[in-house]
Amino acid sequence: MDNRPSRHLLVRIRSSRCEPPGQRRLPKREIGGARVRIGLLTEGGYPYVSGEAGLWCDRLVRGLDRHEFDVYALSRSEQEEAGGWVALPPQVGRVRTAPLWESVDDGIVHGRRARRRFSECYGELATLLCATTPGSPSAAAGGKAEEGAGGQSALEADRFASALYGLAELARDEGGLPAALRSETAVRALERACRAPGAHSSARQARVPDLLTVAARLERALRPLSLDWYEDDDLGSVDLCHAASGGTAALPGLLARHFCDVPLLVTEYGVRLRTHYLTEPDSSPAIRSLLASFHGRLAAETYRRAAVITPGNTHARRWQERCGADRAKLRTVHPGMDATPFAQAAESPECADPQTLVWVGRVEPAKDLVSLLHAFAEIRRAEPGARLRIVGTPSGPEGAAYLAHCKALAAQLFPDEADGPHAVGRNPVAFEETGGPELPTRADAYASGALVVLSSVVEGFPSGLVEAMFCGRATVSTDVGAVVEAIGGTGLVVPPRNPRALAEACVALLRDPERRDRLGAAARARALELFTVEQNIAAFHSIYLEILSRTPVRRVVLDETGEPLPFAVPAEAHVPGRWSDPAARGTARGGPGSPRSAPGWATDDPVRATARATVPATEGAAL
Amino acid sequence: MKGLLHRHRDLCERAVDPLEIAAGLEAHGVTDRTAARFRHRDVFSLAEEMYARVPRDGDTPARPEEAPVSRPRGPRAAGVILALLPGALCAAAVVCLRLTEGRPRLIAAAVGVLAVALALGAALRRGPLRAATRSTSTWACWLVGYALLGDGLLDNALTGGPDGLPDGTADDPWPVTVGPVLALALSYAPAAGCAHLFTAGARRKLASSRGLAEFSASVRPLLLGTFALYVGALAALLALTGAVLGEPAAHPQGLTLGALLLLARLLTVHGHLHASRLVLTAAAAAEAVALAAPFAGRLPGCGFLSVPVETLVAACGPAGVPTAACGIGALALLVHAARRLTRASAHAPTERTR
Repeated sequence: MDNRPSRHLLVRIRSSRCEPPGQRRLPKREIGGARVRIGLLTEGGYPYVSGEAGLWCDRLVRGLDRHEFDVYALSRSEQEEAGGWVALPPQVGRVRTAPLWESVDDGIVHGRRARRRFSECYGELATLLCATTPGSPSAAAGGKAEEGAGGQSALEADRFASALYGLAELARDEGGLPAALRSETAVRALERACRAPGAHSSARQARVPDLLTVAARLERALRPLSLDWYEDDDLGSVDLCHAASGGTAALPGLLARHFCDVPLLVTEYGVRLRTHYLTEPDSSPAIRSLLASFHGRLAAETYRRAAVITPGNTHARRWQERCGADRAKLRTVHPGMDATPFAQAAESPECADPQTLVWVGRVEPAKDLVSLLHAFAEIRRAEPGARLRIVGTPSGPEGAAYLAHCKALAAQLFPDEADGPHAVGRNPVAFEETGGPELPTRADAYASGALVVLSSVVEGFPSGLVEAMFCGRATVSTDVGAVVEAIGGTGLVVPPRNPRALAEACVALLRDPERRDRLGAAARARALELFTVEQNIAAFHSIYLEILSRTPVRRVVLDETGEPLPFAVPAEAHVPGRWSDPAARGTARGGPGSPRSAPGWATDDPVRATARATVPATEGAAL
Repeated sequence: MKGLLHRHRDLCERAVDPLEIAAGLEAHGVTDRTAARFRHRDVFSLAEEMYARVPRDGDTPARPEEAPVSRPRGPRAAGVILALLPGALCAAAVVCLRLTEGRPRLIAAAVGVLAVALALGAALRRGPLRAATRSTSTWACWLVGYALLGDGLLDNALTGGPDGLPDGTADDPWPVTVGPVLALALSYAPAAGCAHLFTAGARRKLASSRGLAEFSASVRPLLLGTFALYVGALAALLALTGAVLGEPAAHPQGLTLGALLLLARLLTVHGHLHASRLVLTAAAAAEAVALAAPFAGRLPGCGFLSVPVETLVAACGPAGVPTAACGIGALALLVHAARRLTRASAHAPTERTR
């Protein structure tokens, strides 16, 4: 395995497509006749133990063991890098990492021509960042028709792309980009753009420290441009780049597409642009405006170049559409969750106490437990035997304070009660944590109740709700985030911050065990269909095949000894569509969404040699 | 709508575009269903209306919340002691040299050099003269070594010597001039002070200036002022050490060497390692060539090699060589620093994520 850390940025020399046979890496695996190597691009993610999207990527890599994966990881902090990697399965061919937290200086000082090239590209970039964003009303208020605005924004997107790729080409040819991005030339270009007529009003307020901060942040964001990943034996040798998130992680994919024509697949569970808006509250308006503009344009460029974009839920999908993603490229792939721990709970509905409501999650103010307690007070008025179990650990000091507040409120609202004069009483509201002997896992927590309640006011993708669905429990939840999308018609949904509506829904279900069972079974069926790991992996598998079937492989075909095979790919393979066969051409025009009989590689004879193996992908594209 | 605007007034006023409002609204639990109540298709169009409705007079400089400029902390006790340490140790070493004789003097000299080097290294690792990159200590050490021994060696070389190793006194045939070196060591504290003044002043100017050109114009006098302050302090120290040690005050070579070292360090601290390394190397090489030339001139047929050095020494004395080498170097660095250190990018805060 080649695990060189990419710390040393070398002056890159354009290598030819044919490297010497000793250095050539032949693909070892194949799917359906087409040998596929996938470049997985992550940022602060997969191979690192502390990475955030690590579990998802690990499942994907392990689930698709007939593919070959090359992992290209950008690390966000020194701590993360010190934390080490997770155990990698054998299908991971190589891991290359690069730090985003360390300012790397390769000591190269640009000559005059390189400086001019840099200032042209960077000046263009700065002008675009300071210009009024296309989505804002001041730009739309020009009185132009939609067409004009669309043409304008397409032009601006082209200018952004050419500036970005211009910088990347400069870094590839000359090196020395990090120093140039921090240099006075860059700061001056930013100042000129901010002071230019037509600049955004908040950009016009930029002062010298703001300019310096923006230059430093742009340097950080553009660090992937200086990496030596875009050679023929690195990202040039993969068949498909899969970016595990948008933003900086997708930048290597964009460059691989630009330099080596590798198709790009972007998966976003949370939209980076939105995260940027939420995590940047304290900077000055100029910094926020310029960086938001950069991230917005980078996202638009990513969506424009990507072959397929897979948002994790409808919410992300809406943001992506808003940022300019083409609807034809969007395929929602719901996050997969492991259903096996919940199977036992689903198969034993009788162990649930018919009078118990369960809430499971992290305790924090956004979960609005207070309104749940008030709703429970109403439920008790209708159903005096009802009980509530609140299972969860507080997150952070804020969560701990909130938990204490909720406990006090519960003690106030509900006095302890006992079965008889000689029994020890207990409170109808129990605050518990998983991990103890009584509730070893979350599955046991869900299984102990007849009804699962979710009372959040803010929610992303409700994984707790999906777990409850796996357990086959009926649910009552508030209408926030992706709740409706997850639950579909298999549970009750009430408006947030409405304890009475929540109570009414709960009482209705508590009194109707048959409906409860019906809803629970439907919820489990829905979850098993939409949210399992298997569906997630199968969806990505078919998307990989779909992208590959549309992308001709323009690689040198090798014979058995690893020598290049001249004329192995016929010239007409490079022509889109099969011009000699009008019927087949019609099929090709049908586009990706249209039903097609079978991919070309699937109907072919069994693969015999390496040379033969690479051609079918081309034929599949030409079919 | 007005209620919603009022509730999220803060968010709307500081938003730079409608998407920021949309993100903030969603974080507060506003969904498309909420937006439908305000007759909007989704949160995005609701956010656009809110963005348009909030009065936004962007041209008036709305920065009452001028963030307090993070002033660099004043010199603390530990920093002051560290800055004074090289000078104090060097003075102690000189006293030991003066009081001892023979082998103990040799030991005292070795221990003194080691102690001063260690103290200087410790002082340079923190405080305002701390550099992020590897620096040019080898050439700086060579230059200081020349100031200690070089003039005597050159003098001896031109007159046919040296006939023995120096014994550490000023009236030896190969005199050791400890005066300038002691002054340089003592001047570390004023140098650190000047660098601190320069950094703090530049940061203040950075926060207050409106444009890059204005910043450059206001920093240039600051740079020259702090540099002049250091040179003045060094001159005073040179006169003082000369008087106390009874040596002739070595003003020109001490001043030029100190100026060269300070400028090289300032440039290194602000990220321009290349120029300072180049100039220091050139100065050290010039001194080495000047030392080697008289010896080379003794070879048969190579007498012409020592002519330039002999001319220079005849004109200005042996001090002319280091003065010329360091003076030209310091002048070049001063011109370079006046261009490079007055740029805003040289004062960009360096951040490092852990």
